[in-house]
Amino acid sequence: MSAIHEQPLKAAKRLRTDGQFDSALGWKPGWRASNLLRLVLCIVVFFIFAAPFVLIASGAFDAAADSTALHLFPSQPSLEPMNVATGRGVWGYFLNSLVIVGGGLVLQISIAILTSYALARHRFRGQSFVLLLFLLTMMLPEEIIAIPLSQVLGDVGGLGINLRGTPWGVILPIAVWGFSILLMTEFMKEIPLEIEEAARLDGVGELRMLWTIILPLCKPVLGVVTIFGFMMIWDQYLLPLIAANDPSDYTLTVALSVLRADAQVGSGVLLFGALLALLPSLLIYLLMQKSLIRGITSGATKG
Amino acid sequence: MLKTRTIRSGLALAITVALVGTLAACSSGDSSGGDDKSLEVWTRSGPEAAASYQPVFDAFTKKTGIKIDYKPILEFDTQLQARAGQKDLPDVLINDAGSLGNYVSQGFLLPIDKSSIEGSDQIADKTWDENRGTDGKYYGVPWSRQAAVTIIRKDWREKLGLPVPKTWDDLSALGEAFATQDPDGDGVADTYGMVVAGSAQSGYALRWAASYLFQAGGGLLKYNGDGTYKSVVNSPEAATAVEWMRKQFCTPGVVVPGSINLTTADTPFFGQGTAGISLTGPYNISTFEANVGADNVEVIPMPAGPGGGVTSLAEGENIYFGASSKKTDLQKQLAEFLITPEAQELAMKVTTNEAGVVSQPVVRIPVNKTVDVAAVTGDPRWTVAADAYNDSENFPYAIDFLPFRQIAADELNAMLSDCNSDIPAGLKKIDDGFVAELKNQNLSQ
Amino acid sequence: MTTLSNGPAVSVERPRPSTGMAERPPQRRRRFTRRSLIPWLFLVPGLLLGVIFKFGPMIEGIRMSFVKVQPFLGDEFIGLDNYVKVLSDQRFLDALAHTVVLGGGQAIGALILGTGLALLLEGSSRRLWFVRTAVFLPVVTAVAVVGEIWRILLFPTESGFINSILGMVGIQAQGFLSDPNTSLGYVMAVGIWISAPYNMVIILAGLAGIDRALYESAAVDGVTTWQRLRYIVFPALRPALSVVLTLAAIRSLRIFTEVFVLTGGGPAGSTEVWMTRVFSLGFKGNDLGVASAASVLLLVATLVLTVSVRMVSNRKERAR
Repeated sequence: MSAIHEQPLKAAKRLRTDGQFDSALGWKPGWRASNLLRLVLCIVVFFIFAAPFVLIASGAFDAAADSTALHLFPSQPSLEPMNVATGRGVWGYFLNSLVIVGGGLVLQISIAILTSYALARHRFRGQSFVLLLFLLTMMLPEEIIAIPLSQVLGDVGGLGINLRGTPWGVILPIAVWGFSILLMTEFMKEIPLEIEEAARLDGVGELRMLWTIILPLCKPVLGVVTIFGFMMIWDQYLLPLIAANDPSDYTLTVALSVLRADAQVGSGVLLFGALLALLPSLLIYLLMQKSLIRGITSGATKG
Repeated sequence: MLKTRTIRSGLALAITVALVGTLAACSSGDSSGGDDKSLEVWTRSGPEAAASYQPVFDAFTKKTGIKIDYKPILEFDTQLQARAGQKDLPDVLINDAGSLGNYVSQGFLLPIDKSSIEGSDQIADKTWDENRGTDGKYYGVPWSRQAAVTIIRKDWREKLGLPVPKTWDDLSALGEAFATQDPDGDGVADTYGMVVAGSAQSGYALRWAASYLFQAGGGLLKYNGDGTYKSVVNSPEAATAVEWMRKQFCTPGVVVPGSINLTTADTPFFGQGTAGISLTGPYNISTFEANVGADNVEVIPMPAGPGGGVTSLAEGENIYFGASSKKTDLQKQLAEFLITPEAQELAMKVTTNEAGVVSQPVVRIPVNKTVDVAAVTGDPRWTVAADAYNDSENFPYAIDFLPFRQIAADELNAMLSDCNSDIPAGLKKIDDGFVAELKNQNLSQ
Repeated sequence: MTTLSNGPAVSVERPRPSTGMAERPPQRRRRFTRRSLIPWLFLVPGLLLGVIFKFGPMIEGIRMSFVKVQPFLGDEFIGLDNYVKVLSDQRFLDALAHTVVLGGGQAIGALILGTGLALLLEGSSRRLWFVRTAVFLPVVTAVAVVGEIWRILLFPTESGFINSILGMVGIQAQGFLSDPNTSLGYVMAVGIWISAPYNMVIILAGLAGIDRALYESAAVDGVTTWQRLRYIVFPALRPALSVVLTLAAIRSLRIFTEVFVLTGGGPAGSTEVWMTRVFSLGFKGNDLGVASAASVLLLVATLVLTVSVRMVSNRKERAR
């Protein structure tokens, strides 16, 4: 198998002088027409996608933010929206969100890893059915599940365990997420068999195989699962609502809708809340970005 | 290398154990006992209204020693459904009078023995009668009533030298002037006339349109007096009203552009100083004052419709007793306190709490006859609001009105969104929908 | 056929049965060996939590679709009445058509735009990192806020942001979301804007996994960029595209939040989709039976669509 491209590979080594093999389209550095086009496209794309964010950020520090007019810069720069938002208790909600997202993400990713390892690297009867079962969890609108789920939260499995008002009331129901399981499974399937077989010959057990051989090769997809898992938990609206025992249990996302309905606070306060709500997700994205870019499969097979 | 691996998998195991352990620890859930002297009370309110309820409940606790576990809840019905699923409703709910029929149909409420409520005679019989279910029993203790009022940016109106609008045409002209004559004087055409939540979602379009419908002499459902209702929506008067409303939407600037898709949460235009006419509950007076200045908020007597009608849409809030509660006596004590002049006056006050939240009065027009709005508020604008309530009409509270509301709002939204819409056909559609829904609820003759 | 068409196909090739198990001698396939138990051990935590918090409530939700839901009076079995009510509501049927158009258009648009963005922005330079982050911003922002921002940008007067840009190039002011004839299109555009970056990230992860040596050997063979995409990149993106398509199938029919915050289903029901109708009829109207019936119908449609998409993408996989 490797013999087939051994020849061109050697030849290619001589060509490896610039970054042209870093990307699928083979972008090359330097001044050329294609790069000019790329620059123009990047600028257009940048404005289309980032402009609304700039408006949010500017409104969040504008004492006179207005929901019919937009400003790229605050018309009356001020920390007032932040102070009002603080008075409305946003930091408490922020903390609730952090607790839930921390616990939820660890559990969700662990479940996704274990499940997808079984689905991608083993073969057993009912395999595709099990995957479909997990996908099924994403298909019924959560509004329908919400009412029966609230019963479960009040009395888990008929054991008299009440999760209402605890972070677990949100963490446990989001632990199984079809998306992360699907994504991990699809990408884990791509890992060449040879790697696994070599390890198996060395007598590596299942858990260690997963932890030390398979998982490191899943870095890009782990990055994606982390980003989206984080956001999925962070953006939960209905679940924290029904799992709450008291408004003080609300998450920031739920609190945002309270702020929105609050006629007394201006748009600036809402925008400040929105800005606060998007920063953690953005931070996670920045941390995970690296794993999206590095080519790893090639390195792994060789090393 | 091998060592690190062992440590890692050990760590993973430890985390799992810890997770399970914590989970078991919180299993000692908080079960709310039925014998303690406390009440769980929910109100559908944001922070501003909650700031108004809190002192009232504090006063109750001080007087009776009964603790109130107070929860202001915005997504009221979602959370209520969740609790209903567990058959564990709050002891007392304070919510829209319009929810009565729906809650009764789902068995959420305990009937109320009016005669056993101390002070029940201080509430008008007419108000009590609104709270009868279709079976004739009372299901809610009245707490507050109100009717929609027209609120205007006084400084804008005076700057343009226009009089207080007395008729629909005046109102329309004022709206157009606000849009075209730059009332805020900033040299930019960024002001508009009327604030309208025109979305069909949650029936907002109907909530706005109903007052004008009544003022033109139109109606929605008529009580036959024998437990049945008749649809009266398809009338020439209603057509006149819808035509006028559509004209406001189709004259640029009279209604804030884009309003056809908006709900109340999306329409902060009056408070922001982008629009100058708002048809809303009088509770917004304090909010608007805080936003645009006390002297600039004007409440005017309802501009008269084509036949001189000034009827506006009435709404209200009731005190409901949750069906699963065993604390009948405590529920009753709270309700009795809430309808006293003391509590009603307390809930009408505008105060600022320690978190800087300006309270929004939760009793608007007091249900207690002995409380005088003008005397308590000392504000002539509230007298106008009280007058508006005296000539008002409400959606029937006894029946499950939500499906009717949705049918009417869907078609109104459609008629208002197209300047060439077929209004008679639209009204006919509402009528057909009403007739079918009446049959569905066993309410037709 | 160029040599290339074989080359990459072989080296991107992965073991078809996905695991080493299949290559084991057949005599080891007894019914309950320790080996065959192993995958189930890994599945236990997920299945356990799934059963308690997902499947249980789901079955209960399906049951609700056959009853008149009234927890305090006792649910009343009414057979298919809820389903009849849904299917005889004209607005529901209109909503179905809008959902298909909107869901389909948005899925395709977001797939194309997402792939384009990923190809444009792949690379490790600092500037690209910056643009990629900017592109991701719509995803991290609360949809309700994004909806509000777009409503303002699409303000339907001459002074509106986008209308004033259109005015500069001589196009007259548009009604955008308030015009029943165009509202669906603009909702779709905003939906694509929100979901394309999602796809971009998944596809970037796919691109990151491609063996760089393949590009090098392709260069040696002197292939065009298009051939490179056609024979190396797209085949290697199969898992990523399969995920994107499956997710699109699952999500497209239950499209809700964007529509809800942008138009609430209006004007004149022109953007009403299945879930907004479920919301106003079922949840706002407190008729959970009808809401459940409509949701079960949605579930069945989604299931069929998802299985079809999976079958197509698996067949493609086998065909390679």
